[in-house]
This record gives sequence, C-alpha cells and structure tokens, in this order.
Amino acid sequence: MDDSDEALMAWVARGDEPAYRQLTLRHLPAMLGLARRILGNTADAEDVAQEAMLRVWTHAPRWQPLAAFRTWLTRVVVNLCLDRKRRAPWVALEEAGEVVDPAPDASEAAEYDERERLLAGAIAVLPARQRAAIVLTYSEGMSNAQVAEILETSVSAVETLLVRGKQNLRARLRVSDEGK
Amino acid sequence: MIDDQFEKLLRHALRRKEPSQTDVERVLKRLAGPLPGQKFALWRLPTVLLDWQFAPAWPRVAVLACCAALGFSIGIAGIDRQFVNADAVSSYVGGGGIGMIAFEPDPFPGGRP
Repeated sequence: MDDSDEALMAWVARGDEPAYRQLTLRHLPAMLGLARRILGNTADAEDVAQEAMLRVWTHAPRWQPLAAFRTWLTRVVVNLCLDRKRRAPWVALEEAGEVVDPAPDASEAAEYDERERLLAGAIAVLPARQRAAIVLTYSEGMSNAQVAEILETSVSAVETLLVRGKQNLRARLRVSDEGK
Repeated sequence: MIDDQFEKLLRHALRRKEPSQTDVERVLKRLAGPLPGQKFALWRLPTVLLDWQFAPAWPRVAVLACCAALGFSIGIAGIDRQFVNADAVSSYVGGGGIGMIAFEPDPFPGGRP
C-alpha cells in the first residue's frame, strides 16, 4: 500500500480512520513544534496542533492535491497561529535561556545567552506575519518561495517581511544594548 | 552587531527543537476520542462533472468510420434505389401525395362576393 501523505489523505477522504491516525502520528510532532515556535506558548500550541489535525479529518473530502500535503498542513497551522496570536499575549520560550553553542569563556556565553533571551523577547512582539515569515525561514529552513506559498503571498512580499522583521529585531536589540 | 553575527544569533535562537514525547502524547490523547463528521462539499459536484473525461474511445470511432464508409458505398452503388422506387410507387397508390393538396386542379366556382 502506498503510504505517501497524499495516498493516505485519499483514504482519509473516504473516512478511513487508521489512515488518519497514521498521518497524525507522522506530522503532529513537527506541527506542534512549529506552533510553539510561532506562539511561544505550549498550551496554545497544543490547541492549535489539535485543531489543525482535526481539520485534516474534517476537510479531507474537500482536499485537493494542488500542493504537497505537508505544505497545506503547515499553512493551516500558521493561519491558526496567526488568528490566535493577533491579540493573545506572548509568553517567552522556555528554552530561550538554553545555550548549547560552545563559547570561549563564561562571560561570552552569558552575553550570548542574554542576547538570545532578548532576541526571543523581540520576536515575541513582532507583527504576526513578520514573525511567521522569520520562524518559517530560520526555524523550518524553508525557502522564500515555500514561505510565500504557505503565507499565500508573493516571494517579494516575503522578502519584505523578512527584511522588515530583521530590521525590527535589530532595532529592539540595539535599544536593549543602549539601555544597559 | 554585524550581519553574520545577527544571522547566527537568529538561527540559534530559532533552532528547531522537537516537542517532548509527553507533549505529543497529550495532544494524541485529546485526538483519541470520536472524530467529528467529515465535511462533504456539494459545490464540488459541478467540478466533478466538468472534470469528466470525454476522451474518444477509439474502437467506437473506428465503428463510426466503418458505418460512414458503408453508407457511402451503398449510396454510390445504388443499392438503395429500389427502396426509393418502392416508396414512390406506394405514394402514388396512396393518392398522389402532398402534391394533390398543394395544386388544386379545379378553379373555385361561383362569382365574386
């Protein structure tokens, strides 16, 4: 039996629950991680991941393989995150303080740690679409074209989002540095 | 901070971390219950009809071509003329056909009103 995402989705469209469970097991960890990176909140990320996986089931009969299943599911997760994120407060990533990069000495490591924490805070207050573009690019390693497909916009718009997002982040880091 | 340092910091801060198995299992547990009904779209029905494949079935096209050739041959050979003549005779026997109605041989009698 063909166990590609698209083949499984065809089974799900016919109401095949084992195929749905298989798809869920395959994609839930990545989607949960993505939602957590965009939302910065584990509880909200779990809600979004659950909602996204339920949509896989309910929307399967309507789903058309115009894009890869993974791209479609990522788009669902990102859209749910953006909907949820527009007003909700952001809680800093619990992992923000964790630094695994080897540093020459303790003071440099502490400085790097501090910068990363500040950066996590700065990402938190970015406009939703800029944050989504930055997370998809730097965390998921997607190309601008893939990000554009997921955000349903053009490549040039994604480039603009990234440039503006990084400008915002640098400005916030600069303000933090000057505040010390 | 130079661009390279910033990019490195950004990549490090946003490095991909998979969620713990406990988190995944918690969501799986929430999904383990009965699933909601699936949504079937009636608006897709026209699409299904429009997507219908009308590719020609070549055996049927060959049969059609053979029928056309047979009809042409019969017409050229005049095999059908006896049937046409038979029809003409039967129409005469029937009383002259439609021509008898269209061309009234007798003028109307009587004067003008």
